Amino acid sequence: MESADGAARTLPSTRRLSRGPLFGRAHGRFGLSPSSWLLPPAPRSQVGPGCADPQTTAFLLRKQWTLYSVTPLYRFSNARLRDYARLLSACIAAEKQKGLAVEVGVELDIKVAVSSLPDLKGSDQDQAAILVQLSSRSPASQKNSEEKLIWSGWFCCVFGDDLSENVPEDFTCLPLFLANGAETYTSIVGSWFQKTFDCCFRRLAISPLNLSWMAAMWTGCKVDKTVSAIELVFSVPCLPHPLDISYAIHPEDAKALWDTIQKTPGEITQEEVDVFMDCLYSHFHRHFKIHLSATKLVKVSTAIASAHCDGIIKFLQSQYLTGVLMLLTELAISQIQ
Amino acid sequence: MDETVTEYIRRTVLKIPREEIKAMLQKWGFLSEAQLETINFHQMKDNISQDVVKLCEENSADIKQAAVLDIIYNHIYPNKRVWSVYQMNKTGEETDFFDLRDFKKKFKRRLRSALQNVTVNFREYEDNAIWIRVAWGTPYTRPNQYKTSYVVYHSQTPYVFISVSVLKSNLPLLCEALLVASNYHDIREMELRSHSLNSLKDIVFKRYNQNFQTYRPRPLQERNVVPESADLRITQENRSEKERIQRVNREIFGDGPQPKLEFAQYKLETMFKSDPKMHVLDKKEPFRCLVKFHSPHLLESLKSLAAAGMADTPLSPLLTCIPEKARNYFKIREKKGFFPGSFVSP
Repeated sequence: MESADGAARTLPSTRRLSRGPLFGRAHGRFGLSPSSWLLPPAPRSQVGPGCADPQTTAFLLRKQWTLYSVTPLYRFSNARLRDYARLLSACIAAEKQKGLAVEVGVELDIKVAVSSLPDLKGSDQDQAAILVQLSSRSPASQKNSEEKLIWSGWFCCVFGDDLSENVPEDFTCLPLFLANGAETYTSIVGSWFQKTFDCCFRRLAISPLNLSWMAAMWTGCKVDKTVSAIELVFSVPCLPHPLDISYAIHPEDAKALWDTIQKTPGEITQEEVDVFMDCLYSHFHRHFKIHLSATKLVKVSTAIASAHCDGIIKFLQSQYLTGVLMLLTELAISQIQ
Repeated sequence: MDETVTEYIRRTVLKIPREEIKAMLQKWGFLSEAQLETINFHQMKDNISQDVVKLCEENSADIKQAAVLDIIYNHIYPNKRVWSVYQMNKTGEETDFFDLRDFKKKFKRRLRSALQNVTVNFREYEDNAIWIRVAWGTPYTRPNQYKTSYVVYHSQTPYVFISVSVLKSNLPLLCEALLVASNYHDIREMELRSHSLNSLKDIVFKRYNQNFQTYRPRPLQERNVVPESADLRITQENRSEKERIQRVNREIFGDGPQPKLEFAQYKLETMFKSDPKMHVLDKKEPFRCLVKFHSPHLLESLKSLAAAGMADTPLSPLLTCIPEKARNYFKIREKKGFFPGSFVSP
């Protein structure tokens, strides 16, 4: 990722002190070089380690999450979650005292909850996901007033063995962070984590190359009920009048095309992704004489999930949640290293 | 005075940009010059609108005047709404003499016979455009002044521009009233929609620049020609290609500015064809796609694609036919027969 962009996208008060050896990666996988990529595991069974309980994960679906990569956390402990909640709460209160205007004219009493989601992980080596939630309670009626969830953020690591294997003991690997809610809260929470655990947050951009992988991968996934089109959105910003092109393909037809391209079930190669995209581009060119390959792919939307190049994701199917997280973890790890 | 009327006037004034408020109130003509002089138009809009409302109360404004103010606002800022174009048909050659009073009477009567609770107002403009504002109620509730449809009808033409806004279920009734009042037999929606009302008129009345074949004895010169005395090692490599692109664009799009459209939509039901070497999909059924183009100024944007290297020249007729065919929604199917590469749109 370009460093200029990275600088603009990091949270304030970044102190990047890495306390361990350089995290090397054996070889690039996800789109970095022509290679095979194992498909995210088929819809998970309801029992067994590493399967996400649909009830706890239901709240993750259909929300827009902004993505960040996070370097390993120093001396983070699963046993101290309550303490962290308390400290973070104090930090937020302090920010409010400083006059940080979050909502105009409303005095909000903010409650912080930090919890662990033990089922949200990939391999046994992965750290369980950590969820941070900010709820507000209006001070008007203290006792039984409704608590409204105003911000959520969660750290996770799904099949991040490449990273966690190379990390010394005091470090916890949770390379992917997802936030939903006001940017100001993301900033406060992120800064607190950065200060407390000496880690570094960076916005995770998704390149057009990675987006095209997602398009190919998700097109091939079997989805029972919904008939959601495979939509690709291209942007041509540098014209005198900017142009956006939305290219949506009927999912059955897209899948039929992909099925004739993919050679080995469970595996995808860069070449296959290229052929898939080229087929779509040439069908478009045949009609409109426009070279989509010269434009920028900015968003991919399927029944499984939708991803935007600015690092925004929406999960739409719980059965493929882990699969998508695995992809995003991979991207986050690439960005860290 | 009716509270709903005062509130409606207040909100309408708030919509107007501050510098324009005085001029619009003058156009409205409901408040006298003397009254307008008493308003400080440099204060906050909130206060201006309060002052206007007070004066309106003095003059006992009713819903009719409030509606006229709304029409004036929409006439000056039509681009806040989305307009669809409809074409009316009549069999037979009779050119009826257009009687405006008759039109208005029949229109109102037809609407009211089906739905009592409507507010209907008219305003005529110089270019033969009749603006009709309809606020819709239900059999049990009074008309909601915030749920309005607008119709712009040029009486010398069969074209109607309609901005329906929220209550699409009232559209058939609106169309019926139009037919009855204008003495046409049927009405169909052209697949043409945009925010820019004037551009829609340009397209439909063919007021955009048509390209006329002109004789050009010499090849086009590039605008910024490098003086010959400059370094001879520097050449424009793609000069002839650039000139060709300019020339072909001129032939297709004409010289003048393009009508302003914001989107075009294509429903593709054509076959997927690929290089046989690739061994990919070879189905006998259509490859179903939906393509949408969005831009603040779509046609100009498409025109610039070739020069930017992103499109071939000439651009596809599917795109360049938009103003000529007066539509921006298309359904494209494979043409059966000799030339599988060509398309028809029904």
